[in-house]
Amino acid sequence: MTEIEPTVEVNRSADVRFALHLFRKNPLVLAGLVLSVGSIAVALLSPFLVSPTSWQITHPLLKNCWNNPLFGWGNANIATCPSPYALGTDSYGRNLLQMIVLAIPVDLQIALEVVLSAVAIGIVFGATASYAGGIVDEAILRITDIFLAVPGILLAIVFMVVFGRTIPVLTGAVLLIWWPTYVRLVRSQVLSEKERPYVESLRSIGAGRVRILFRHVVPNSIYPLLVQATLDIGSVILTVSALTFIGLSPSPLLPELGNLASLGSQYFFTAPWLIIFPGLTILLISLGFNLLGDGLRDILDPRLRR
Amino acid sequence: MGLVLFGISLLMFYLTRGFLPPSFALAPYITPRMNDAAKLALAQSLGVATNSCPSFQAFSALQQACLVPVWAQYTSWLANVLKGNWGLTLLPGISGTQTTVSVFFSRFPFTAQLAVMGAALTIVIGIPLGIVSATHNNKLPDHISRIVSLGGYSIPQFWFGYVLLIIFVLYARIGGLGLLPGSGPLATTCVICFTNPGSVAPVTGAPIIDGIISGNLHYAWDSFAAMILPAITLSITSIGALTRIVRSSMLEVLRQDYMLLARSKGLHERVVIYRHALRNALLPAVTVAGLLTAFLFGGVVVIEIVFDLPGVGYTSLQAVNVFDINFIELYVLVTALIIVVTNLAVDIIYAKLDPRIRY
Repeated sequence: MTEIEPTVEVNRSADVRFALHLFRKNPLVLAGLVLSVGSIAVALLSPFLVSPTSWQITHPLLKNCWNNPLFGWGNANIATCPSPYALGTDSYGRNLLQMIVLAIPVDLQIALEVVLSAVAIGIVFGATASYAGGIVDEAILRITDIFLAVPGILLAIVFMVVFGRTIPVLTGAVLLIWWPTYVRLVRSQVLSEKERPYVESLRSIGAGRVRILFRHVVPNSIYPLLVQATLDIGSVILTVSALTFIGLSPSPLLPELGNLASLGSQYFFTAPWLIIFPGLTILLISLGFNLLGDGLRDILDPRLRR
Repeated sequence: MGLVLFGISLLMFYLTRGFLPPSFALAPYITPRMNDAAKLALAQSLGVATNSCPSFQAFSALQQACLVPVWAQYTSWLANVLKGNWGLTLLPGISGTQTTVSVFFSRFPFTAQLAVMGAALTIVIGIPLGIVSATHNNKLPDHISRIVSLGGYSIPQFWFGYVLLIIFVLYARIGGLGLLPGSGPLATTCVICFTNPGSVAPVTGAPIIDGIISGNLHYAWDSFAAMILPAITLSITSIGALTRIVRSSMLEVLRQDYMLLARSKGLHERVVIYRHALRNALLPAVTVAGLLTAFLFGGVVVIEIVFDLPGVGYTSLQAVNVFDINFIELYVLVTALIIVVTNLAVDIIYAKLDPRIRY
């Protein structure tokens, strides 16, 4: 064993150097890293930047103000809108920039919860399916088939009609859309991994099935899962905001990016900033995670290492 | 295939019957002049109340004697569903006057028209973009198509719709009119529209086809013009997905040895790409057709709300607000049927495209 150790070390540092090299070579991945880490940072700092209860306070007189002198959007009512707001105010008279800062953690938290739960479900059921095989595999596959044959957003709508409009239900509704993909991904990964020689040797030294599966096979097939999870954070945010946009928001006042856009959609000709900035925030966050996921895929793809 | 549909029906049934009080299942079948005895008889005939239930009040109060276990309701539910008996609509304005089925199928062609236009755009733009991206790997066309596909993946569709509206209706104006029509199913105030298209009798329910059938081409054109922005908005994400798939599978194929053989035979580059590479590269793209269909039929909900279009997506949201669960159930089951049929067609096309596959 001691003879193998040094080569492993060398490989690992070469891997890190290669990854750094790819990051440097590809500015888009760097942009993705900046956007995604930046959005997480804003989310973590959000309670310190903006009073967390400020979304509950409405100012009817400050409705739809646009006093930003840098960029003319016309119709600000100077009499009732005294001070300038960076991104204007919404139809409840709240500062839109503050609302967006409060909304980012809400969306990111839902997205993280959905993706992490989907990964956990995927590992448990996907690994079980591929390792048990036979009727268990068939049953799990057919169940994912059923979920994949329903348009996700419709499934989520039904779920929210039945269980009510709250944030946990919203999270559950989106999870209902996402889990089958992960089960199938883990299943196919484990299927290809378990035929490798090292699994054979583990079996020959008497390792148990569960131990082989969860201590060796699953960790070895984790990379594609990591890439998919990163990419899906963006997609989950899109789905969540689409659901709240079409009116399934837990509360009309809730600072959530889709809901903020939905509030603005009624005024989009007279107060276009109300829909432009929340939507742009969604685009940037989602783009950030997609770019990062793409980059991770390139970095972790062994075919690129020549 | 049948198994998937059965599973979906079970899922929808369990979600709506298992967690909501039985009065929700009864509501679509109640007509205005029904007394309590008639309501109770109705509940019993629908299988949501037991035959030993003493009165409708007892049923409404969820008394134990009246409750039928969820699993025992499935067969009567399925019998009703298969007979097309979905009850009366609860939608505001037309509540109780039309059946859910007639409301759904009078509005469904509109949604189908939008989804078909979205699918057409996806194929017409997505596949060529993917090919160009792969054949010009790491050159300008590749960068453009990668930006389009990443952007399509990351953009919120509803927001993209509003941005298009702001650009083409609010800012791109000629002679006081927007370049493209704004919201609504029929465009009459825009640069490229006819101002007085008249009206046509709804034959199919899809306005473009109705216009062509009745010979009113102005109406057909105006309906088409109103669909331009919704179709672009609807297809933006699936264009991104398809471009990405075609690109990666094309790159994979171009690396194969038989590409070298085809070139060394002296075949023209166009023949190499379109006859030898594309046919193999399209195989993975065809397999996602079912997923894309699912995506398009789900996406119409958001698009129809943004553009104020009278399809089933828009209606299903009205249905949500009045708890018209049968309407949404019908929507899910019809869409699932379309997706399952698409997947079946994919399997057949797959075997046609790839002679190595035999079923």
